[in-house]
Amino acid sequence: MNATLTKEKAVTGPEITDRHRRRRLFLVLLSRYGTLVGLAAMIVVFSIRSPTTFLTLPNFLNILNQSSLTAIIAAGLTMTLVVGEFDLSIGYVASFAGLLVVGFIARDSLPVLIGVPLVLLIGAAIGTTSGFLVTKVRINAVIATLGVGTILTGVGFAYSAFPIAAGVPAEFIQISLGKLLVGIPNPIIIMIVVLAILWIILNRTDLGQKMQAVGGNIEAARLSGIRVDRVKIFAFATAGVCAALTGILLSSLLGSGTLAAADGYLLDAFAAVFLGSATLRDGEFHIVGTLVGVLIIAVGFNGLSIFGAPTFFQPIFKGAILVLAVGLSTLARRYAKA
Amino acid sequence: MQSESAAWLTVRGLSKQFGGAQALTAVDLDIHRGEVHGLVGANGAGKSTLIRCLAGVTTPDEGVVTIDGEEVKIAAPRDAEDAGLAFIHQELNLVPHFNAVQNMLLGTKKATRLGLIDWRKSRRKAAEAAERVGVNFSLDRRVDELSVAERWLVMIAKALVRDANMIAMDEPTASLSDNESSQLFDIIRDLASDGVAILYVSHRLDEVLDLSDRITVFRDGKVTDREVRGGLDKRGLVRAIAGREVTAAARVDRGPIVRDTPLFSARNVAAGRMVKDVSFDVYRGEVLGLGGLVGAGRTEVARLAFGADKLDSGSFELEGKPVPPRSVPAAVNAGIGLVPEERRSQGLMLDKSVGWNINVGVLKSLRSVPGLPFMSGAKSRTRALGLIDQLRIKTPGPNQVIGGLSGGNQQKALIARWLRPEMKVLFLDEPSRGVDIGARQEIHDAIRRLADDGVGTVVISSDVEELASLCDRVVVLSEGNVSGELVGDEITENKIIELSYAHTDQGGDE
Repeated sequence: MNATLTKEKAVTGPEITDRHRRRRLFLVLLSRYGTLVGLAAMIVVFSIRSPTTFLTLPNFLNILNQSSLTAIIAAGLTMTLVVGEFDLSIGYVASFAGLLVVGFIARDSLPVLIGVPLVLLIGAAIGTTSGFLVTKVRINAVIATLGVGTILTGVGFAYSAFPIAAGVPAEFIQISLGKLLVGIPNPIIIMIVVLAILWIILNRTDLGQKMQAVGGNIEAARLSGIRVDRVKIFAFATAGVCAALTGILLSSLLGSGTLAAADGYLLDAFAAVFLGSATLRDGEFHIVGTLVGVLIIAVGFNGLSIFGAPTFFQPIFKGAILVLAVGLSTLARRYAKA
Repeated sequence: MQSESAAWLTVRGLSKQFGGAQALTAVDLDIHRGEVHGLVGANGAGKSTLIRCLAGVTTPDEGVVTIDGEEVKIAAPRDAEDAGLAFIHQELNLVPHFNAVQNMLLGTKKATRLGLIDWRKSRRKAAEAAERVGVNFSLDRRVDELSVAERWLVMIAKALVRDANMIAMDEPTASLSDNESSQLFDIIRDLASDGVAILYVSHRLDEVLDLSDRITVFRDGKVTDREVRGGLDKRGLVRAIAGREVTAAARVDRGPIVRDTPLFSARNVAAGRMVKDVSFDVYRGEVLGLGGLVGAGRTEVARLAFGADKLDSGSFELEGKPVPPRSVPAAVNAGIGLVPEERRSQGLMLDKSVGWNINVGVLKSLRSVPGLPFMSGAKSRTRALGLIDQLRIKTPGPNQVIGGLSGGNQQKALIARWLRPEMKVLFLDEPSRGVDIGARQEIHDAIRRLADDGVGTVVISSDVEELASLCDRVVVLSEGNVSGELVGDEITENKIIELSYAHTDQGGDE
């Protein structure tokens, strides 16, 4: 590496700049389109190797259906990252919401149409609390959200200690199992609606512009008259709602509220969001990128299971993707600046 | 101890360029053992660059430094330390949660026993140094529990632990009380009589005249005067710093300005240590300059008016009504704007487009339907295009990423951010810093046009020439107080500098 560098320096003027420019262009392209190329490559390879299992409409719907929960929670996380913060509580919020909604509906016999919105509201309240701790009390986001999440785990534990006598009503199960639109599973439709709303907020409203300003240069945003704290709290609240929605859908899918059921979504969401930040844009967090990130993980997992990879391979794949994703997005940012 | 014949440290032909601007031009400097050497000059005259070169922080383009007749290469701070040079900057580089001993010995080779630090032995070395500067507090106290004056003593002792032969001090008395200052002066004199050279950088000319055996005056990156004790009085020193006796700056006369009722007023504003008592009026349609030295409180006053910092006492009035400077959004809604001093860190979102940066302050007004949160792309584009045209921002279009524009055009975009009909008072902090001469002219034109449109514009600048040529009136601050006001033809570079150096603690010169 060093030798080639010195060699390059020895070459005369224009040739260096040309070669360097080409190399940099390559790196920029790699970091911007690398994820998309990777996704496409996976799909092509899997399709060729397994045209009968992988390349089928049911399997694609299956992949999308499985991705939808991750996509919703990851989209919420994207909002906090856009304003330059973190939310490590989302997985715990989702688990907690899953317990709570089953408790409300099955044990307290609340109607689904009241229980579900109530839990979404609680998700918003939890997010708002985290946002308040981070902005007003000025606790580091990692600590604040980790603390909030851990408390929720405990509260969930206490809550689930009550026996749930009655079964979960069918209409709650139908939320995730139903197909409201031409055979497309509901979670996919819900995901599309949520992502569309968040995309519009980020790109087409002044609130979204403010969020991007806060994430881009917080001091400049403050001096432009933006109420930085409010904008951040909104981002946390959104992440809370999205996490709660994921938890609700998971419980509906499982037909029960299980302790810690959704904790694992935290890592998936982070991997997806960081993969997404290296997609199309140079290390910026955005909704479309997050969706691509989620699909990469889902297609990868789908492939792994179709080709019968041993179970131990799954966490290895997930961890590797996370590291690769953060690496790519860091590279993207660095080469965009250079 | 003073030998007049051979200097201990010499600097010859030191030059440094920063992106086209000549910060230092062929500077020569002699420092003798055991002397107090004062360095004076206006903001940006080159004192700091010289010190940074000696400290190994900045690498000069040309020039030779010798110590005891031998050339020394100072490429890094380590080299400066090895050469016996110590530097105490205003921000005092101390580790807050370390105690005084740990700080003094930081980075030195400590005495060890069995591979572990022998604190008792190390302590003795620190204690000796502390005694020389008359430390009368426990060296076990954490540095963040010490007063500023005590921290200075720790810094000086730290230099002595390293056997420094020269200690450079940058504005040592800026945050010391009179009592503490005179204690520091005693220590400086003691050190000098022990043979330690002191390089004393200060805007407080009385102190410099009182302490220094020799004074070197900088202007525009060059040494313009060298004096020995008794060679100059304060008046003469001010003249030497200002240079030209009287400069008839090419001031653009904007015609008579009606100054009957003020548009905006500061009334006995005070906050923190930097702003003690500041009052001034801004009238509709005028360009008011806020002059003074760096640290005089100008930026702080602007930030207070803009609601970015909290007031201790006093008030601001807009059109006769009190503006509660609670927050930046409140100030913005009232029609007050601020173009901040640090363009990149406080103003721009570098990854975003020109149009985006222009519009970010007024997003609400660009909604497609008032009351609904949705932005209108067309309105955003129209406003951006209009302002790009109005301020002559040179950009391929509103979608160009702003990081790719020149400093001058970035600055124009930041000014554009605030332009809207509701704008009443606009503060511009160092609006032409780091921009080329052409862009500077255009920025000045833009500021004048704003004033013509009835906006009260307040320009903060360390560049007296800029104040003299641009402003209809100049209020000069010194040490957190107003030291004087100049109107129309009274505004000359000399007078601004004179007022900048005015000592206002005893009630002001004017």
